Amino acid sequence: MSERTSFDAIVAGAGHNGLTTAAYLARAGLRVLVVEKNDWIGGAAVSRSLHDGWTYSNCSYVCSLFRREIARDLDLPKYGLQVIPYEGGASFTRDGDYFAYYSDHDALRREMARHAPRDADAYARYSQAIMRQCRFIRPFLLRDAPDPVAPGPRDIGELAYLVRKAHDLGARELGETLRFWTMSIGDFLDDHFENDLIKAHLAGSGIIGTGLGVYSPGTAYVLLHHYMGDIDGGIGAWGFARGGMGAISDAIGAAFQAHGGVIRKGAGVERILTRDGRVTGVALEDGAEFHAPVVASNMDVKRTMLEHLAPEDLPADFRRAVERYKIRGSSAKLNIALDRKPAFPAAPAHASFLRGDLHASESLAELERAYDDWKIGEISARPYIDMLIPSQIDPTMAPVGAHMMTVFVQYAPYDLAVDGVRSADNWTEAQRARLASIVLDQMQVACPDIRDRIVHMEVRSPLELEREVGLTEGNIFQGELTFDQLFFNKPVPGYAQYAMPVRGLYLCGSSAHPGGGVMGAPGANAARAILRRETRGRRMKGYAA
Amino acid sequence: MTRHDAIVIGAGVNGLVAATVLARAGLDVCVIEQSDRLGGMATLSVDDGPELAHLVHNLSPRVRRDIGLDPHRWPFRQTALPTVALDESGRHVIVTRNAVTFADGTAHPDARACLALTARLRRYGELLRMLAEAAPPGGDAPLASARGLRQILRLGRFGLGLRGLGRAEARRFLQVLLSNAYDLIRDDLPEGPLAGMLAADAVRGIAQGPRSPGTVFTLIHRYGHGGVAALPQGGMSAVVDALAQAARDVGCTLRTGVRATGIQLQDDRVCAVTTASGETLLTSRVLVGSGPRLAAELVGAGAFDIEAMRRIGRIRARGVAAKVNLRLDRMPDVPGLNADQLRGRLVFAPGADYVEAAFNPAKYGEMSDNPVIEAVIRDEGAIWLSAVVQYAPSDLNGGWSDAARAALARRTLATLGRAIPGLDARVRETQVIAPDAIAAATGAPGGHWHHAEMTLDQILTLRPANGIGRYAIGPRGLFLCGASTHPGGDVMGLAGRNAAREVLG
Amino acid sequence: MSVVTDPDVGLVPGPVHDRIAALSRAQGWYGWAGHAAPSVLDTVEFEYFALRNQAALLDISPMHKYRVTGPGATAMLNRMVTRDVRRIAIGRVGYAVWCDEDGMVIDDGTLFRLAEDDWRLCCQEPMLSWLADACVGFDASVSDESHSIAGLALQGPTSFAVLRAAGFDVARLRPFDLTDAAPGIMVSRTGFTGDLGYELWTGWDEATALWDRLWRAGTDLGLRAIGYDAVNIARIEAGFLTAGVDFQPVHAVERLHRGKTPLELGLGRMVDMAKGHFNGRRALAGPRRHPRSLLLRVDVEGFKPAQDALVYHRRRREVGHITSGVWSPTAKRNIALAHVAMPWARRHPPDLWAEIYTLQEGRWDRRMARLTPVKHSFYAPPRARATPPGLT
Repeated sequence: MSERTSFDAIVAGAGHNGLTTAAYLARAGLRVLVVEKNDWIGGAAVSRSLHDGWTYSNCSYVCSLFRREIARDLDLPKYGLQVIPYEGGASFTRDGDYFAYYSDHDALRREMARHAPRDADAYARYSQAIMRQCRFIRPFLLRDAPDPVAPGPRDIGELAYLVRKAHDLGARELGETLRFWTMSIGDFLDDHFENDLIKAHLAGSGIIGTGLGVYSPGTAYVLLHHYMGDIDGGIGAWGFARGGMGAISDAIGAAFQAHGGVIRKGAGVERILTRDGRVTGVALEDGAEFHAPVVASNMDVKRTMLEHLAPEDLPADFRRAVERYKIRGSSAKLNIALDRKPAFPAAPAHASFLRGDLHASESLAELERAYDDWKIGEISARPYIDMLIPSQIDPTMAPVGAHMMTVFVQYAPYDLAVDGVRSADNWTEAQRARLASIVLDQMQVACPDIRDRIVHMEVRSPLELEREVGLTEGNIFQGELTFDQLFFNKPVPGYAQYAMPVRGLYLCGSSAHPGGGVMGAPGANAARAILRRETRGRRMKGYAA
Repeated sequence: MTRHDAIVIGAGVNGLVAATVLARAGLDVCVIEQSDRLGGMATLSVDDGPELAHLVHNLSPRVRRDIGLDPHRWPFRQTALPTVALDESGRHVIVTRNAVTFADGTAHPDARACLALTARLRRYGELLRMLAEAAPPGGDAPLASARGLRQILRLGRFGLGLRGLGRAEARRFLQVLLSNAYDLIRDDLPEGPLAGMLAADAVRGIAQGPRSPGTVFTLIHRYGHGGVAALPQGGMSAVVDALAQAARDVGCTLRTGVRATGIQLQDDRVCAVTTASGETLLTSRVLVGSGPRLAAELVGAGAFDIEAMRRIGRIRARGVAAKVNLRLDRMPDVPGLNADQLRGRLVFAPGADYVEAAFNPAKYGEMSDNPVIEAVIRDEGAIWLSAVVQYAPSDLNGGWSDAARAALARRTLATLGRAIPGLDARVRETQVIAPDAIAAATGAPGGHWHHAEMTLDQILTLRPANGIGRYAIGPRGLFLCGASTHPGGDVMGLAGRNAAREVLG
Repeated sequence: MSVVTDPDVGLVPGPVHDRIAALSRAQGWYGWAGHAAPSVLDTVEFEYFALRNQAALLDISPMHKYRVTGPGATAMLNRMVTRDVRRIAIGRVGYAVWCDEDGMVIDDGTLFRLAEDDWRLCCQEPMLSWLADACVGFDASVSDESHSIAGLALQGPTSFAVLRAAGFDVARLRPFDLTDAAPGIMVSRTGFTGDLGYELWTGWDEATALWDRLWRAGTDLGLRAIGYDAVNIARIEAGFLTAGVDFQPVHAVERLHRGKTPLELGLGRMVDMAKGHFNGRRALAGPRRHPRSLLLRVDVEGFKPAQDALVYHRRRREVGHITSGVWSPTAKRNIALAHVAMPWARRHPPDLWAEIYTLQEGRWDRRMARLTPVKHSFYAPPRARATPPGLT
C-alpha cells in the first residue's frame, strides 16, 4: 500500500497545541497529518523515562490552564487523561521555618497569622481581587483577539464584546482592572501584605517563565496567566496529570488518531513549501514531501518564519517584526529520581503541604536580585525554585517507596555569560553541573539530605529545551508574556488571528493568542480559524467553538 | 476674614497655571505658598547655585495660550541645546532634532536609525499630547451628558489621530506603547552612547530602568512637545516670573510665606482654608499642588473613604534623581568637544545596559555606583556644572547623611571624569541636593520629579490613584492640580491647566 | 505511603470544646471561623424550645473581636460605620453596619463602648486589615482579641434567673447595657435570638470555669446547651441578618454588584446621613441612594419552608429569591427573608410568589406560595425588653 502524501491539512509539530488543532480538524472531517521531529509526541507536555522505573514530566510539570472545553470536546478522559489536583505548598527559610499554603481556608488563615496577623485578614481581599481578574479574562481565552487598527465585522463584534465586558465592571473596578494589568506583582503584593515570606511565596507565579523581575510592571498579568486556569471549575487550582504531563499530549494524540489522523514521528520539517504566495505542504529533513493546502505550525513564530520559510516568502515588515519578537530563555529544570522521599526537617512529619509546590525564596528583594543576575547573563545566585514530588500522589511515576521530583528554576539565561561573552555555546557540561549545584544548594534550604537521595538527575538548561523541544532560546511560553506580545499584538501586530501572511499558513502554538502554558486554547482557536477560512461549510463544533 | 472664589495651595508651575486659568474665567483666585519664593521644585536652589530644573523640555504651548501669553513666543528667550552623548574614548555624539553626527562632524553610522526612531517618538508624542491636554478619560459622567459627549469626541479625535499614523505605524504604536524602552531602542540601535542617551531620557526622574515595561511611554512623554531641550535665558526663574506675571495680570493674589494648616468643610463641601498665622480664608474651591497626601492631611482623613486613604498611602513616589552642582574655576577641557558643544546638554550614559545597571542598586535602597548623568555647564558670572544624577533613591539605606551626599558627589565626579578628564581639579564648590532635601524644601512626595511615579498603573485615569484620577478628590470643591495628576510634571503646566478646567466644569 | 493529614489542618477546638463535646450526642459539627462549633448537640427541635422556653447556652467565641483604642478611636469608628457612634453611651452596646466606598455592606456587628475611647467590635467576618486601614490618619489603634476573649451566649426566658443563681447581679441591666459583673467577666444584655438574653465575655482560658458556673446554676432552670441550627430559627423569627446568607459581605464577592447597600438590607435606620462623612456616604447620597432591591420579611403561604426559593411577581416574572426560610414553631407561621428587586419590592398589592420544591416519598413537587410582606419581626416577646427581667 503506497503511503498517502496528500492531506487536507498538515500540522508541523506534535506539541499539545498542534495535536489539539489536528484533532479538531480531523474531528471536522479533514484528512490531517501531524509531523514531529522527535521520536515521541508531546513537545513540552511530555512524560519520558530516562532512568529505568522513573517517569519524568521533564518539561512542563503541572496542569491547570488546560481548557476543560477541549477535554470535553475531544473526549480526552476516554483516552486516558486524568488530572488530579494537588494541595497546598510551602516556602522554606534559611532559619529553619516555613510558610505553608493550605487549600483549607481556615488553616491558611492560621498559618498566615502565625507570620503576620494582618496579612491573614488581607488574604481574603487579595484572593477576591485575583479571582475577579480571572473571571474577567477567562471568556477571552477561547475567543479571537480583535484587530483594533483595521477591524473587520468580526473584529468589531469582538471589540464590542470587550467594551461591554469592560463597561460592566463599572468605573472603579475598571480602574482596578487596568491597574492590575499594568502593575508589577511586587507592587500588587505590597498593596496587600506586609510579610516578606508570604509575599515571596505568592510572587513566584508572577515570574515563572518570564524575563521580568517581580518589580517589573506587567508581572501581575503573568501571575494571572498562572491563575486563570482551573481544575473541574476550581479556578486557580493546579494538578498533576496521571502518568506525567505527557498523558495530556498522548490523550489528544489518541483522540486525533481515533478521528483518522496520522502522526509521523522522527519527521522534522526542513521547509514549509510555498507556491505563488500560498503554502503547498512541507518538506521533511529526510527529503520526503507531503502536500496540503493548509499548514499549521506548532513551532514558535520565530522558528516557523525565520527557519522554515524563505525570506522572499514573507513581507519584509512582517519578517522584521518576527525578528523583533522577544523569546528569551529564562528557565531551567532539574528532574530527579529519588531513592526515597527526602526529609523536610522544618515541616511536621506528614505535612499535607509537602504534596504541593515547594520553594526556598524568602523575600521579593531576593527574587528581584535573582532577576538582576539573569539580566547580565548569569545564573541566579539564589534562584526561585518550584519543586514538586508528584509521585506522592501519582503512583505511576516511580517505583514503590521511591520518588520523582521536578524542580523548575528561574532564572537561567539562554545566552550564558562567561568571561564577558554571552552565548548559548557557553552551556557546557561544567556549566550545567554548576547550575545543578546552585539549585541543589537552594533546595537544601528545604530538604538538606537531597544530595544523598539522588539516583538519577536530568539537568536542562534553556539550551537543552531549545534543542530537544524546539522552543527558541528555551522560552517555555514560546515568547515573552509582555504587553507588546499579548492579545492583538500576539505574536506580532496585525497577525493575531492565527492566519499568517502566507495563505494557508497558520500558527497554532503558544506564540499565538492566548499564549503559553499547557492550555490548548491557541490550538483550538487556530483550528476554528482554519475551518472558518479554509473550508466551505465546515464549522467547528463543541464547547471551544 | 477674606473670601476668594478659589484658593490654590502651592505656587509651583502647575499652581500658577491653574490660578491663571481660573482667574481668566472670572474667578477671584488667591495662591498661597509656604516658602518665600515662587516656582516650587523648578526653581529650588541653594546658595545661588543652579536651580533644580535646568532645562525646559515640555512647556506646553496649550498652557501658554490658556494663560494668555503670546501664542508664538514665551516672554523669555530660550536656546535649543544640542545633546551631547558623552563617550569615554572621546567619540562623543552630537544629537539635534535633524542630525546625528560625531562631535568632529563625521557621519554617525546609526544616524538614520536614530533619527527615524526619534521622529517616530515625536509622532507618537503628538498623539499622546491629545490625551495630555485634557482630563483623562473615565469618570462617572453619563455618556449622554455634555461631559460624556466631550469625552467621546476627544476619544474619536484620538482614534482619527491613530488612523492618521497609517496602518503599520498605528499597529506599531499600539504594540510598543506599553513596552520597555530598552527593547525599543536596542531593536534599532546597537549598544553605545546613543542607545544609552535614549535610555537615560526614558527614565530621567523616575524610579524605573530602561528594561521596565512602561518606559516607552515615558520616553514618548519626553518627546511629547517636540523633544527639544532648551535653556531658558535667566534660568528657570525667568520662566516662573513669566508665569507669575501672567497670573498677576489677570488679578490673582500671590502670597508667599503663607502655610496652609487646614481645610475646613461644611456639609461635605470645602468652605475655608486656615493658615499658620491664624488666618481663615473663606472659599468654596481649593486646589492643592503637592498631591493627595497633603490634601488629606489638611482636610483630615475622616473626610475620605478608607479605600481612598489606602490608595493614597500606596501611591509610589520614590525620588531617584539628585542634583549635584559643581562650581568650576574655569570651563573644563573635554577632548573631542569644542566650546559650543560643551555648552550643550551633556549626557553620560555609555549604553542602555549601563543605565539598567545604574538602576539596580536603587531597587534596594542604594545609590548607583556608576550613575547616569545629565549635565549643563553655564557661565553666567560663576561657572556652574549643573548635573541631574541618577539613581539616588529618596529611601537610601541609612538615610541621606553628610557622608552619603559626599559619596554621591564623589561618584558623580568620578563618572563625569571618565569623559571629562581632570574635572575634579576644576571644582571649587560642591552642592548635593538629594531627594529628601527636595521633599523637605518643596513638599514634593519623595522628592520625586513627578510627585508620583510615572508607571503604567499610575497614568491617565489612574493618576495619582484609581478613583481620584480626574482632579476632584474627596469632598466637593477639593481638587488636585500638581504634578501627581495627569499628565505629570516636568515644567509642563498641563496638570494645573487641566485641573483648572475641571474646576470650572 | 499512607495518607496522613497535617496536624495544622482541620477544625480547631474552641475554649469550651471539652464541655460541648461531652454533651454532643449528634456529633454534628461545622466550621465557624476555623473552630469546631456544634450545629446540633441533640435534637434541633428540643434545643430550639429550650431557647424559647427555658435557657440555652451557646459558645460564641469564634466571633471576631477587635479592640479599638486611642484618643481618635471614636472618630475613627464614626467614619467607618454608618450610624453615629457618638450616641452610643459608655456602658452601652450598639448594632452597627459598615460599607465600602461604594456603599456596599462589608459586615455588621456590635460595638461595645467600654470607655470614652475604648471600644470592642464583635463581628462575623475577619476585619483586622480593614480596621487597620480605617485607623490611617486617626490617633487610634486596633488589636485582635478574637483568641484572647471568649464569649458565651445565655439566651431564653430563664436566662436572668440562671445568672442570678450563678451569682451575677444584672437586674438593672437594660437591653444593650453592659457591665463588669465580676472580675474578668463582662455581661451584656445582647443576643441573636430576639428573646431575653445575655452574652458573657471573659478570658479565653477562663471560659470553661464560667461555663461550669453557669451550668451548675442552670441545673434546675432548664438550661440546655444548644447548637447553631436552633439559634438560626430564632434569629429568623427575630428578623436578624446573617452575613453570607442574607447578604454577601462585599469583600467576599467576586461580582461586585452582588454587594448590597444598608438601604437595600432594610437597615436605613442605621444610616445617619447628617453626622458627617462616613465610609460610603458619598455613594449612598448619590448613585446608590435608590435601592436596587429590598430585603423583605415575608409570611409564606402554606407550611413548607421556603429556603432558597425563587420569588416571582404575578407568578411569572422572576424578581428575587428567599435567603432564609423556616417554619416558626413559636409564631406558628411560615416565615422567610427575601431579596426582591425594585420596583416589585414596593408594589401594592405585592403579588409576590415563592416557587417551593417539595420532596415527599421520593417525589419532587413544585408549588407556588403567596408571600405577604410584614413590617416587624415575627416574634418579639415583651420579656425581651422588661427591666428588671422576669425569672421565668
